[in-house]
Amino acid sequence: MTVRLTDRGEILLEDTCPSEDAEILLQKLSADPDAPVDLRACEFAHTAVIQVLMAAMPKVLGPPAGLALRDWVYPILARRSVSD
Amino acid sequence: MNDFLQQFLIESRELVTQGTEGLLLVEQSPGNADLLDTVFRAFHTLKGGAGIVEFAAMEHAVHAAEELLVEVRSGRRTLDARLVGDALACLDLVTAWLDTLERTGALPENVDAGQASPPSGVPAADWTAALFSRNSGVLHRAVTAIRFVADRDCFYQGEDPIARMSALPRLLSLDLEPVLAWPALGELDPYSCNLILTALTSASPGDVTAHMQGHSGRCEIVAVAAAGVPRIEEELPMNVRKLLEEQLAVLDADKVQRLAGRIASVSRTTANAMRFCGRDDQAERLGNALGSDEEAGRRLRSSITQLLASGSAAPAMRAESSPAVETVARTLRVDAARIDSLVRLTGELTVAKNGIGHTARLAHANGDAVAGLLKEHHLVLDRLIGQLQSSAIAMRVLPLRSVFQRFPRVMREMASSLGKPVKLEIEGEDTEADKTIVEMLFEPLLHIVRNAIDHGVEDANERLKAGKPAVATIHLRAARAADQVLIEVTDDGGGIDLERVAEVATRRGLATEANLRMMSEADIIDLIFAPGFSTAARITEISGRGVGMDTVRTAVENMGGRVSIASRRGHGTTVSFALPFSVMMTQVMTVESGGQVFGIPVDAVVETVRIASEDIAGVGEARVIVHRNRTVPIIELGTVLDGSQQRETSAETHAMVVIVAVAGQSVGIRVDRPGERMEVILKPLDGLLSGTPGIAGTTLLGDGRILLVLDIVEILQ
Repeated sequence: MTVRLTDRGEILLEDTCPSEDAEILLQKLSADPDAPVDLRACEFAHTAVIQVLMAAMPKVLGPPAGLALRDWVYPILARRSVSD
Repeated sequence: MNDFLQQFLIESRELVTQGTEGLLLVEQSPGNADLLDTVFRAFHTLKGGAGIVEFAAMEHAVHAAEELLVEVRSGRRTLDARLVGDALACLDLVTAWLDTLERTGALPENVDAGQASPPSGVPAADWTAALFSRNSGVLHRAVTAIRFVADRDCFYQGEDPIARMSALPRLLSLDLEPVLAWPALGELDPYSCNLILTALTSASPGDVTAHMQGHSGRCEIVAVAAAGVPRIEEELPMNVRKLLEEQLAVLDADKVQRLAGRIASVSRTTANAMRFCGRDDQAERLGNALGSDEEAGRRLRSSITQLLASGSAAPAMRAESSPAVETVARTLRVDAARIDSLVRLTGELTVAKNGIGHTARLAHANGDAVAGLLKEHHLVLDRLIGQLQSSAIAMRVLPLRSVFQRFPRVMREMASSLGKPVKLEIEGEDTEADKTIVEMLFEPLLHIVRNAIDHGVEDANERLKAGKPAVATIHLRAARAADQVLIEVTDDGGGIDLERVAEVATRRGLATEANLRMMSEADIIDLIFAPGFSTAARITEISGRGVGMDTVRTAVENMGGRVSIASRRGHGTTVSFALPFSVMMTQVMTVESGGQVFGIPVDAVVETVRIASEDIAGVGEARVIVHRNRTVPIIELGTVLDGSQQRETSAETHAMVVIVAVAGQSVGIRVDRPGERMEVILKPLDGLLSGTPGIAGTTLLGDGRILLVLDIVEILQ
């Protein structure tokens, strides 16, 4: 399970999240739109998963573990969550 | 987008490029008439294309520019920068329209050629401008800009656009934007991709194109330099300048020995220095373009001097600014000439393979031990080369749709200008044929269709009286039959009036009443193809412009095909084209005559007969046989080709005669013996032999002998 809810009510993405995680993430964010998403243990996430993050604009916790995710995707997600 | 628009889009883009390049060149040398012609042709063809797809605004815009060029061509106007600017602006407008077409799949609506600004829809340049301003910090290192709009369903095709883009070589920036604003979470379909990904990299457009290979979506790859962004290079740091000056000193050192070593060392140091400054692309070029001779030393020296002089980009070392590269998944446009050379090479391979077959037979005859092995290898080669050849030929193949699609519009206009309601039914437009044939087919088909509407189809009243529906039907059919492509144009009109054909033929001196009486119906119909025949009582605008059916027959025969007509009075007419599937391959039958092997195209061969020598009768100088109640003249190949003496026929009791026919004319070719049937790729005659009458081309036989393939049409003349 690469997407799960922590005891603190945060949504945790771990390792490499496949496209199937998009649906799970969407369900969790729909249930609690204010839940922060913790990307720090995430190596990479499929575009479908990142799309959900872009649409939901949750507060994201980072930086992520994976380099590509950290350098290219996290700044966009962080910028959005801060500016909104 | 339908194939027709797709074709229009591809062609128009090529023409815009051609026109732009030509305009820029002609501005440099305004007196160059050839260049001007090229530009003019590009505009003219663009206009024609716009007319065909009924894109009036583009037609008008291009027409206006074309008019200016006409004036320049005739010397009434001089070509100045302003004119070139206007013409280029016109092409920009066209490009913006084409972008809209590509994006939406439909022609832009509500656009007016007169409007100064490009039409609605964001021109391609806009995304680069936004991208550059967002990423000004890394722009000085950017070589290539990429915009990738993944297909909505791309996830199902295994595409992960962010993974792909973030793995781009030498990535400098990556931006993600939604195509449509994000919906509320409840309405979000997470598996429908809604992203536009833009990126800058310092990798070359070529590398980026290679990286994006096989993507599912629409990808634009633009060279940053070509997008009009001046590369702002930072000043070289002082220590780097010093280092470069030292390198010049090393190159200039007055020692001739060890030049190669010095070049290698200097280039490596300079490349490292550039890498240190973040100019990876320059570093790469310095590392790549190398030799070890004095010329290489000079090149390296001038590169370093330029780096020092400008402190900025080194213009001479910049890659040629490449135009915007559109990558299209799964298709590759290749120059037809390259494919032709591939096909020719497979032809050469076939010849080489046949040589091995011959060697194997010789070895077998000599009882050689390797004969079996040779034969085995020959069989494998035979199979593989056969496959290679058919794949190569398949690359030249196009569906006939591209020709057939042009007819509905043409028909509509013809039918309305002649006041005869006609509907067109098309079948088999997926049938494929050689590119050359597809491209040459339009004119002859158009002629047949014109004739059908003009001469074949009756007036609506007449049709009703004959118990036919008022609206006539013209069928355009294509089908593949073995190695032939059959195309038929059938109308349900009045059919061909044989008496009238006979009357006209007599009047025009194409036939006498005596030989008309001898002719079958088919022979009489065939007279329509005679040069100078035209049955139109009046010259209409549609047909009857002095171009007769003879040109149709010539065109079809030039493609290596045959044309025939069948007609029933009162029921209609069918004109059939039988065309070869490939123009590169020719089926020939070999014959031997006087110790030499000749090939006769199988298309022309009617039959091979063995006759008694005494059945060859002399009529004056000529010799004839009577075959199936017709008199067939006999020719000796030697006589036709080099004028040598006819052989003494009396010495032999029997003669082999190959009867060939072209355009309804038969002739018997006397041969010593018929040989085998084979597929060959003809090489045209060149050098001393070029222009030899009666020979269409040559090919090599397995045993190394040359096969001369006869040009039957020329021989009959």
